[in-house]
Amino acid sequence: MTTSTAFASVSALVRRETSMVYDEGKEYLVEARLNPLAAARGLGLEEYVGRLAFDADERRKAVDALTINETSWFRDHTPYQAFTDAMLPALVEGRQITRRLRIWSAACSSGQEAYSIAMLLDQHLPAGWSHEIVATDISTAMLERVRAGRYSQVEVNRGLPATGLVRYFTRAGRDWEIAERLRERITVRHLNLAAPYTGLGTFDVIWLRNVLIYFDAATKSDILRRMLPMLAGDGYLLLGSSETTLDLPAELAAAWRREQIGRVPVYRRAPTGSLTPSLTSTGDRPCAR
Amino acid sequence: MRAMIIDDSRAMRSILRRIVAGLDFETSEAEHGQAALDQLRAGVVPDVCLVDWNMPVMDGYTFITEVRANPAWRDITLMMVTTEGEQRQIVRALAAGAHEYVIKPFTPDAIVDKLSLLGLVPA
Amino acid sequence: MTVVVSAGVPETEDVLAITEDVWTALLGDDATLVPRDVPPRSSFDADAWSAATTISGGWQGVVTIELGEAAARRLTTRMLALAADGEATDSDVADAVGELVNMVGGNVKGLLPGPSTLSLPAVAAGRAAFSRDTVLACRVDLAWQDGPVRVSVHVPQEGPR
Repeated sequence: MTTSTAFASVSALVRRETSMVYDEGKEYLVEARLNPLAAARGLGLEEYVGRLAFDADERRKAVDALTINETSWFRDHTPYQAFTDAMLPALVEGRQITRRLRIWSAACSSGQEAYSIAMLLDQHLPAGWSHEIVATDISTAMLERVRAGRYSQVEVNRGLPATGLVRYFTRAGRDWEIAERLRERITVRHLNLAAPYTGLGTFDVIWLRNVLIYFDAATKSDILRRMLPMLAGDGYLLLGSSETTLDLPAELAAAWRREQIGRVPVYRRAPTGSLTPSLTSTGDRPCAR
Repeated sequence: MRAMIIDDSRAMRSILRRIVAGLDFETSEAEHGQAALDQLRAGVVPDVCLVDWNMPVMDGYTFITEVRANPAWRDITLMMVTTEGEQRQIVRALAAGAHEYVIKPFTPDAIVDKLSLLGLVPA
Repeated sequence: MTVVVSAGVPETEDVLAITEDVWTALLGDDATLVPRDVPPRSSFDADAWSAATTISGGWQGVVTIELGEAAARRLTTRMLALAADGEATDSDVADAVGELVNMVGGNVKGLLPGPSTLSLPAVAAGRAAFSRDTVLACRVDLAWQDGPVRVSVHVPQEGPR
């Protein structure tokens, strides 16, 4: 199956099942959404699309991936509120010496999450503090978009408060371009979440939202195991609203402590040395994202 | 929740009405700012107004200014829904008291997102 | 007086993208617009509805949309969520086509140097008539469900002031 017949077949599938249209020119979207699923099966994109013809389960996953995972600004609101109201004050309290925060937006897609965080830090981080937001994704096309910081009219209509639009964006033709002072806070890195996390340093908050659903159970465990040493002792991990650490193998589940901030579950490193060295070993599975 | 939809186009009012009715809002409609003010004075006071900018008789910007000048209408949330996308105009509308701003054309999701941002529908 | 042709005229590509955005927002899956080959300077070739809106201020020009009769009725049916095409009255079609040009015109205005204002739409049953002291700056010819759709932008003869 060639790339273009694969694309035609996917676009017909999505249209049949959901009436959504993937026109020509949207190949990058299909790739960005299906590559993680294909990789989870150990298949190339074309092979994977071929499999969809007879694998109903996989077909449903593919359709979900292509349809429900839209990116919007301040997605779900409450995690961002919890970040501003609870996590940020606690972190600021604990870092009076270094006065520096590091945040990771993992599987950042087109960057709305990273820039939403950047807006909040611009408004709420005390003067004299510095911060870095590291945005990683498997798709280099998406990373380019984050770097460019340009969003269409349709995209800025999705969940971005109007005050944020006028404060942080300027019109650039049909698009809106995000302020340089936010763009320079974001470090873009190409990263497959299933491959080693080298050279990233540690983070005070890790946003790993709505991406674990793309992985099989073993890879998901592996990722959450390797996230432990990436997080500062008093840091926070955020997952998507349908994701949890509760279904992990017992030993690993015990290494994460779930806390509630209002309605938002956050995950923190369990305080005791419940973590054996084998649990922190770096995985290297041939999976994506 | 009650929404008042203020737009000179019936077609646009119909589109917006179906979106907010889908969120279980009760709706009322007005074809320009003056008609909307008349309804407010007659006691039809919604939780949120979706307001177009360019309309005959009284435009949306003037309407917002009028609503904000009356303390009795302080609790009304004002959301512009307009094709007017010049940045300085958005700033003006927010300064005059609009809480949110959606630029036409929009998808239904955009309206739902903004209403949820305003706390008018559950996130 | 010097005539300044600064940010001149909108790009055809931008007008096309704006039109597609409007169609997509209104129609979702049924929004597909296909390019239509029409010789330059030819008048709109169908029983038509037309609507125009004037941009004035920082930039001066007129945005016009013309639609074949059947396409205009079908679009109106969709916008008003009527049960069948036959239910749309002429007044409904005028309203819907007016809102179309309002959306396209407002977004065209957003591309150009401001501040400018957008007039209320003027709608007519029939082809658009263009003032003699204007000149065509940009035109997009499309087909939606086999019906012709044209968006044009005219500027004053001596160029934008």
